[in-house]
Amino acid sequence: MQTLDLKQSYFELFGLDLEFDIDLKQLHAEQQRLQAIFHPDRFVNASEQEKRLSVQQASWVNEGYETLSNPVKRARYMLQLSGLELNDESETTSDTVFLMEQIAIREEIDECRSNADPLSCCNHIATKLRSRSHQFGSEFVAGFSRGDLEAARLSSRKMQFVQRILDQLMDLQIELEEELEI
Amino acid sequence: MALLQISEPGQSTVPHQHRYSAGIDLGTTNSLVASVRSGVADTLADVDGQHLLPSIVHYGDERILVGQSAQKMQSVDPLNTLSSVKRLMGRGIDDVSQLGEVLPYEFIADADSNVPRIQTRSGNVSAIEVSAEILKTLASQAEQTLGDELSGVVITVPAYFDDAQRQATRDAAKLAKLNVLRLLNEPTAAAVAYGLDAQKDGIIAVYDLGGGTFDISILRLNKGIFEVMATGGDSSLGGDDMDNAIGEWILAQSKFQNIDAVLSRRILIAARAAKESLTDEEKAEISIQQGDASWQGSIDRVQLDELIRPLVKKTLTPCRRVLRDANISKQDIDEVILVGGSTRVALVRQMVTEFFEHEPMCELDPDRVVAIGAAIQADVLVGNKPDSEMLLLDVLPLSLSIETMGGLSEKIISRNTPIPVAKAQEFTTFKDGQTSMSIHVVQGERELISDCRSLARFELRGFPPKVAGAARIRVTYQVDADGLMSVRAEETSSGVAAHIDVKPSYGLTDAEIETMLRESMDHAQGDIAARMLKEQQVEARRVIEAIDAALISDGDALLSKTEINDIRQVRGQLEQDMESACADRLKKSIKAMEKASEAYVARRMNTSVKEALAGKQIDEVKL
Repeated sequence: MQTLDLKQSYFELFGLDLEFDIDLKQLHAEQQRLQAIFHPDRFVNASEQEKRLSVQQASWVNEGYETLSNPVKRARYMLQLSGLELNDESETTSDTVFLMEQIAIREEIDECRSNADPLSCCNHIATKLRSRSHQFGSEFVAGFSRGDLEAARLSSRKMQFVQRILDQLMDLQIELEEELEI
Repeated sequence: MALLQISEPGQSTVPHQHRYSAGIDLGTTNSLVASVRSGVADTLADVDGQHLLPSIVHYGDERILVGQSAQKMQSVDPLNTLSSVKRLMGRGIDDVSQLGEVLPYEFIADADSNVPRIQTRSGNVSAIEVSAEILKTLASQAEQTLGDELSGVVITVPAYFDDAQRQATRDAAKLAKLNVLRLLNEPTAAAVAYGLDAQKDGIIAVYDLGGGTFDISILRLNKGIFEVMATGGDSSLGGDDMDNAIGEWILAQSKFQNIDAVLSRRILIAARAAKESLTDEEKAEISIQQGDASWQGSIDRVQLDELIRPLVKKTLTPCRRVLRDANISKQDIDEVILVGGSTRVALVRQMVTEFFEHEPMCELDPDRVVAIGAAIQADVLVGNKPDSEMLLLDVLPLSLSIETMGGLSEKIISRNTPIPVAKAQEFTTFKDGQTSMSIHVVQGERELISDCRSLARFELRGFPPKVAGAARIRVTYQVDADGLMSVRAEETSSGVAAHIDVKPSYGLTDAEIETMLRESMDHAQGDIAARMLKEQQVEARRVIEAIDAALISDGDALLSKTEINDIRQVRGQLEQDMESACADRLKKSIKAMEKASEAYVARRMNTSVKEALAGKQIDEVKL
């Protein structure tokens, strides 16, 4: 049975360069190619040890795929590879401009409900948030490439904030669609 | 056994080692078994030609009935006739009491067990044991048809089943002594049945509304790989709920007094019949009789639609969510597949078509498609198709979280993560000298622990005492390809593996399963006799086939008329004894057949050796 080097990074595993802007199509194709080799379904009639190995390796491939396919997780993983210890809970941001902006967006979302066309209101905010997320992504790349890991960490943290608001916005969107029966 | 060796030199009687396998759809209302025979997957019928086995078990004084025969007992002896137990799989006594209005049974909470049991005439049984009876019946039906033992089965479960429900299904298979190759999600199975047929690539939505569960899955098909992009649903919503809505309407119309278990069962049966006939008809007549009281009425399509519309609407919420989780829009979907008996209801078809803006596919029988897909995968997994590229990549249906301070949940693995998957987490101690800690794992999407489903409590013990914060405990959560979770823990600074005591919140403990297996052995004398008879029958059929084939090929050349007649006579007796219920007699008869054909076998051997040697130089022949 083939085995994977569990010491390599996820970037190496999927044959990608260590950078934020990755080819998602290649990531997906590689994930499927590796699963075709290591998935437990390929080892149903194998020995117990081979079965265990297969679960371990297939799990690792999937965890790597999950990490790299999500921009926030990918950015955080890159920081970890560079030796930064991350702790989601104790990390805060003191960027007041960013915090004010977050509060404003949350208020905007709350007001969507009473809007005459709440769904377009949601879509409008979502577009704005996505472009902000992209911007923070570029800031992350800039910080990371000039070796300023602290700046990169702050950008990744902002991406995470924006992602959370986007998730909440999507929940609201589903709620509204239900009410309007679309 | 000499007869089996009659074959031409260089040819084997067994061209390739084919292993028998089956796909089992263990449904709320009906269950089915399917298998791949000569490359074609199809459901297998029972002796009466029925493909659908009603998922009903009757516990009588002397014996257990499963399927049609149990169904007949339903209106006569409702409290000992158990149906729709799939809704109880992996559930605790609290969940069950919520279902109390739906199911008329007497539930018993056992202090020593997490599994609620139903009181029946032949003892208290859990949903797991009832399901095991259904599985046994299906497996023996398959073995009867295939003429050999099953080396493995794939059992389908709703994609939205949580860990406890999956574990309960696995336990049922263990009690039925089946080798489970994989638990397969029902929508994925349906996609396999359709996908392999069409050889198409693209994105498909599988809308699966069964008797008691609803699933919606989005899959991407690409060169034999079936990748689940997102899955969602409601593990307690289905055709049963429609029957109940109609039943309540009948109750309100009929003004029946003194409603007992028999009457409410009759009303539900009438409700289901009305629902089913409204698939093709515009109006259904209902007539219910109970002692002196009786009621006659009718229901039309408009009335039905009004009663069930809220239920069908409830299925659209998960539909919206999976589209979002898969990060696609309705326009990206190439096909919509309908699965499950409840998708025959006209309003369901109409609302699904409107929602997805897509005419759904329903060429395959929605009742049978899941079992067929499972059979196709079982055939691949058991090793009959070494060149197959088929691969099914599934996801975790519900997020796994642990309890943190203040009763909040912290996500460890998010829903729709491809499985198998493992995630590790580091903990530290918060007291000096702390040597143990406990972890509470839950499944669900809600913030509050109390709104999620408790899976298990893990007590980690035995790590070296250190000052607070110095110990590092690495806990790894593993979800396997069946969607089942396990946990291991290690103190990383010292490398000591912590002991884990698991207290599953629901489900049977290993000891309980042991006891049940042992009890079933005690009761299994009848089973053993039946098994021996079946084995002899299989053997007899083989012998008869071999002798028939031999007689056709060279009987006239090698045997005299009298010899042929003698062999035919013994063969006739053997065929007759095959129908008898006595394994010993059949065994003797097989022996007699072997003896009667001994001389013939010897002559055949000589002839084939002669033929093989004819016209060859000595050095060409290696003996």
